[in-house]
Amino acid sequence: MTWFAAAARLQIAALGASACLAAAETEEAGPERLLAAYCAPCHSGAAPAGGVGLDPTSLGSGGLSDPDLQERLWTALDRGRMPPSGAATPAPAERRRMLNRLETDLLRRSRDGARVPRRLNRREYENTIRALFDLPAFRLPDGFPQDGSKAGFDNVGEGLVLSPPLMAQLLAAATVVADELLGPDPGLKPAQSKAYPLGTGGLSMEGGGPAAGGAFRLMSSRNMASAAAWPARFEAPRSGIYRIHLSARAHQTDRMSYPRRTGPVRIAIYARPKTEQVYAPFEQLRKVAELQLDAAAAGPQALTAEVELLQGEVFGVRWEDGPAYSDPPGRDYAHQFLADRLQADRRYYAAMLQFRGGPRGTTQAQLYDATRSLMESGDLDLSDPRLDSMPEVWGGGLSNAPHNWIKAFVHEELYRHGPAVDLTALEVEGPLRLVEDDEMRARRARTRGFLGQRPPGATDEEHVRLVLERFLPAAFRRPATDEELRTYARLAAGVLASDAEASIKDGLHLAVRRVLVSPSFLYRGLERGRMDDYGIAARLSYFLTSSPPDDRLATLARTGTLSELATLAAEAERLIRDPRSDEFVRSFTGQWLATRLLRSIMPDPRLLPFGAGDREAMIAEAEMLFAEILRSNLPVKAFIDPGFSYRNARLNKIYGGRLQGDRMRRVPVERDGRFGGVLGMAAVMMATANGVDTNPVLRGAWVLENLLGEDPGEPPGDVPAIAPDTTGTRTVREQLAAHRADPSCARCHDRMDPLGTVLENFDPVGRWRSQYPEYTAPPDGERPLRQEFYSTAGRGTVAGPAVDPTAVLPDGTRLESVTDLRRHLLRRIDVVARCLAEKLLVYATGRPLTFKDRLEARRIARSAVEGGGFRDLVVGIVQSPAFAVR
Amino acid sequence: MARPDRRRFLEGIGMGLALPLLESLAPEGALAADQRPPTLKRLVCIGTYLGFHQPDFFPATTGSDYRCPTLLDPVSSFRDRFTVFSGLDHRGRNGHDGWKAWLSGSASGSVSLDQEVAARIGDRTRFGSLQVTCGSPPDEARMSFTPEGVALPMIGRPSVLYRTLFRSAGDRDRADYLLSTNRSILDGAIAEAKALAREVSASDRSKLDEYLAAVRTVERDLQKQRAWLDRPVPSASYALPEFDPVAPDLALECESIMYDLMALALTTDSTRVVTFLIPGWSQVFTIEGRQLSAGYHGLSHHGNDPARIADYNLVGVEHVKRFAAFLDKLRSATDESGLPLLDSTAVLFGSGMGDANTHDNSNLPTLLAGGRLRHGAHREFRREAVGPRLLGDLYLTILHQFGIEADSFAGASHNLNEHLL
Repeated sequence: MTWFAAAARLQIAALGASACLAAAETEEAGPERLLAAYCAPCHSGAAPAGGVGLDPTSLGSGGLSDPDLQERLWTALDRGRMPPSGAATPAPAERRRMLNRLETDLLRRSRDGARVPRRLNRREYENTIRALFDLPAFRLPDGFPQDGSKAGFDNVGEGLVLSPPLMAQLLAAATVVADELLGPDPGLKPAQSKAYPLGTGGLSMEGGGPAAGGAFRLMSSRNMASAAAWPARFEAPRSGIYRIHLSARAHQTDRMSYPRRTGPVRIAIYARPKTEQVYAPFEQLRKVAELQLDAAAAGPQALTAEVELLQGEVFGVRWEDGPAYSDPPGRDYAHQFLADRLQADRRYYAAMLQFRGGPRGTTQAQLYDATRSLMESGDLDLSDPRLDSMPEVWGGGLSNAPHNWIKAFVHEELYRHGPAVDLTALEVEGPLRLVEDDEMRARRARTRGFLGQRPPGATDEEHVRLVLERFLPAAFRRPATDEELRTYARLAAGVLASDAEASIKDGLHLAVRRVLVSPSFLYRGLERGRMDDYGIAARLSYFLTSSPPDDRLATLARTGTLSELATLAAEAERLIRDPRSDEFVRSFTGQWLATRLLRSIMPDPRLLPFGAGDREAMIAEAEMLFAEILRSNLPVKAFIDPGFSYRNARLNKIYGGRLQGDRMRRVPVERDGRFGGVLGMAAVMMATANGVDTNPVLRGAWVLENLLGEDPGEPPGDVPAIAPDTTGTRTVREQLAAHRADPSCARCHDRMDPLGTVLENFDPVGRWRSQYPEYTAPPDGERPLRQEFYSTAGRGTVAGPAVDPTAVLPDGTRLESVTDLRRHLLRRIDVVARCLAEKLLVYATGRPLTFKDRLEARRIARSAVEGGGFRDLVVGIVQSPAFAVR
Repeated sequence: MARPDRRRFLEGIGMGLALPLLESLAPEGALAADQRPPTLKRLVCIGTYLGFHQPDFFPATTGSDYRCPTLLDPVSSFRDRFTVFSGLDHRGRNGHDGWKAWLSGSASGSVSLDQEVAARIGDRTRFGSLQVTCGSPPDEARMSFTPEGVALPMIGRPSVLYRTLFRSAGDRDRADYLLSTNRSILDGAIAEAKALAREVSASDRSKLDEYLAAVRTVERDLQKQRAWLDRPVPSASYALPEFDPVAPDLALECESIMYDLMALALTTDSTRVVTFLIPGWSQVFTIEGRQLSAGYHGLSHHGNDPARIADYNLVGVEHVKRFAAFLDKLRSATDESGLPLLDSTAVLFGSGMGDANTHDNSNLPTLLAGGRLRHGAHREFRREAVGPRLLGDLYLTILHQFGIEADSFAGASHNLNEHLL
């Protein structure tokens, strides 16, 4: 293989070593003789094993050998991977002797620190802008180029390329930021008021709709998309005060199942940005007015409200206290109404059960009519045993009931018979006067904060200098040089000189734009060798918060006390406690546990109905488990078998729990069981599959690389990928066995495949299975429909061949199941800790690790495993010498 | 309350990008002597996000005697000016996410057809290319990608597109100021990077060189933009409505205006490359006084229910009517040599969604109009045929007619020249 192609291959035989040294002879044998004895028999000659040819210089004797080869040799010996089982094995002291020789040579040649500076990645850039300029909502546009990844992380210098389109976008973003801070102020020009007769024809709403006489019928709901009337043809042209005129009347018939309303009815007006689709509950929208309608009055009543709308906003009219199904007071009422009805008349529930298999896309009105005609047809099966359990179903709420059916039925009942509110006319006029909106006010405050108070008698030049003295060190994360201060001051002065109307605001606008494309802003790690306290402050801050140093860190750097080990530890622990370290949790787990991939994986609909909320719950589980292990300083083995996790109702479909609601909560998880820790965690299992089927190679490679810290190697280009065959004729297992029969494949796959095979009990979304599914329907032809409504999920799937998770590791260890793998990892927790330490060190320093770094990571991991916890490990990283070199 | 300032960030940067900034990464060099002169000068690509009901888009028979299916009926008067293709696709991923592959063949991002063309001809006009849509479509709905695989932002507000094309004097002054100061900013950045490079090691220098190369490229682009700024903006008299119909319910109205503005952009030669993504949400349309039975997205998942297919087709017909009106504008407008604009404009109309009901992205509805091509027929390509044809083969024929002699594009390496030339 190419890895070792560069290695010089001297004939090992020239040493005159025997291939089978007796133990007595090796007692004091030098490392070269040991190499000749244990390695050379296979790794020499014209066709050395695995393409790896070794010679006496491989162990290091004056830098003749290839350091990459040496490091691989070191790893193989250190891990006990070589010599392979079945071959003659060196005694521990012999192995140590070879390792020592290698370490001496490798350390001597190991580079100190990073090869290249690191550009701020997308996330760091956004956070930096937010922190520097008090712009908490700043976001780069969706089309902003994505960062490349190296050594497993997206903050490593080598992967952070600066392409011309990226530079163009950075330049554009700099102007956007400078405008937010110091841009031209549009001011409040006189308002030009205009009347917009909206009528009721252009109103949009789900659930309600047109009513007799051109009216628009409002019902009530928490969800604003189906609760309010939103005029399609209006959008506030400027932020200002608008006057809304509306006419409305109560719609109440003799056939209402609800009590008649007699007193005042509350009508509210909400505002939202026009272009966004709203599925938010009304509590999350801004209520701008509330009006009262007399339910008892006969005709339409005219109501008027003056409201503040921001530029680009539209308003919606909502009936605040209607009895609709999903309204908090209305829901109890609706339940009661249905319970009474259903208990009184079994035909409702029977018709409902019968209709559940109805065609997809049935409208609310069709559903209502079909249910009623089924009830009247006498064609109902009233002996269905499910009917007997009906009262219990309703008594406990609607969680086990066909939620959507009831919602649609109630909506239609209300729509036809009332109570509802009919909107008969709608008009808006304005802006009557303009208002300074929040955005404008925030912008003024930002400008004031950035410019600061001009000292009495100070010239423009002096004021600019004061601002720059504060701003440049914050932007560059180090003190600014005199030359820099002069350069930027000159830039600002140039604007003032060229335009008589320009103010220092305009001068600094240009200076800010220039700073935001400067290498000193965009790159970290431009210094050489050991970093000063400013460099350490930035590294610590970006490591744990993905943001620039806060005031405290900046002060510690200025006083030169940050690099004291006790201070470093205290600061690291402070940041870990700070909610800003959620950035670290999110970003590190997203990459280490690969949960970032989840957003691009769409599970096969034949497996289960799956939505964004399910995906977010999976990601939250991984992040919250990680956060607790970190913040509570739990031992590293908690990643493998913690005994707890965080879950919500959405994860019931994966783990089979009985949780309710979307809130994530801490739940106990049986130790030594099927689930628990990162193995078998839904997010990890899904990220290491493709949404459709599982591939033990992918999962095995993930375990190898991310828990055991071994490089699985790149798949050779000329071998087709393994495509699991779900027709059942050939299991993945059989395919893999055939694959491993080829020795060149076996070299890597012997290490990967067993680790993935024991995880075959987890399906592509992490559910436990003992049989592979077989699909009888075409992939997309029969999508499972919404479970609550139609209960046809899983249609077209039958149980296929049994899953056989047993596997044998290269060292002969036999694993029967994931539980065995967990025990195996717990026995080797030092290896897992070392792997984590290496990942953390890469993430913290933004560089691929040197040999020196790897030894350092091992030292840190060892002390964390011996009586420490995971937070100690993170603090150990921060305190290590490797952290302090750039 | 939602974030009010996000809108402005997006809009600000979207406009910046719509300027001929990225497109001018054009390969230098003109036609080789032995190449035929290009027959196409303009390219318009129009895609509907929720696709079309295939059986009512593809004619039942092939050749030129086909009977116009429901969805092509509104455009039937142009039938000798277009070709309908069936059986073409990228053999790509299914699902909404696969939509992104429509013009590039790759859902994970590679250069799209329009940007490939813009790289060649984009520097001849004020805007190398324009990306247009209605409102704010979902993230999966993207069709234009740079060679680096970066999705280009689209303009979704008619007033913003109008302002971009026919900017006022005040806007011009601000643009002028930003352009000229951006150039001085980049000059300063170059000086700073050079000074830094003198102090650092060779490997550090490699990153600074990368930085310098990026800055210089952007600087060259700014120079081109500056040159355009001095030329007078064409005048157009178009009555924009009082406010932007960007609410999903009004998407069809927005679509009509955007087509008008696209035609204006082409007739004033402000750009020669336009993409138009026609989005779809769950909005319930009212067509000819009748409210449709479900939201547009819901209708696209029609479940083979004839009533829902009929409603889905009603929306499709509205799209095609507007497309026909656009073709009509291009037919009546003339270019500098007095010929109809349509004769030198390729208009691709279709969707990156094959069958929305099943989210199947095979057999993409595809229609190519305009240019001096041999039109008038329905061409069917079978998947099981020997040497099956891909949508990229059609793109290659289009590229060739722009004088771009590519051998492969979007995963395809043939062409459909024998069917169109």
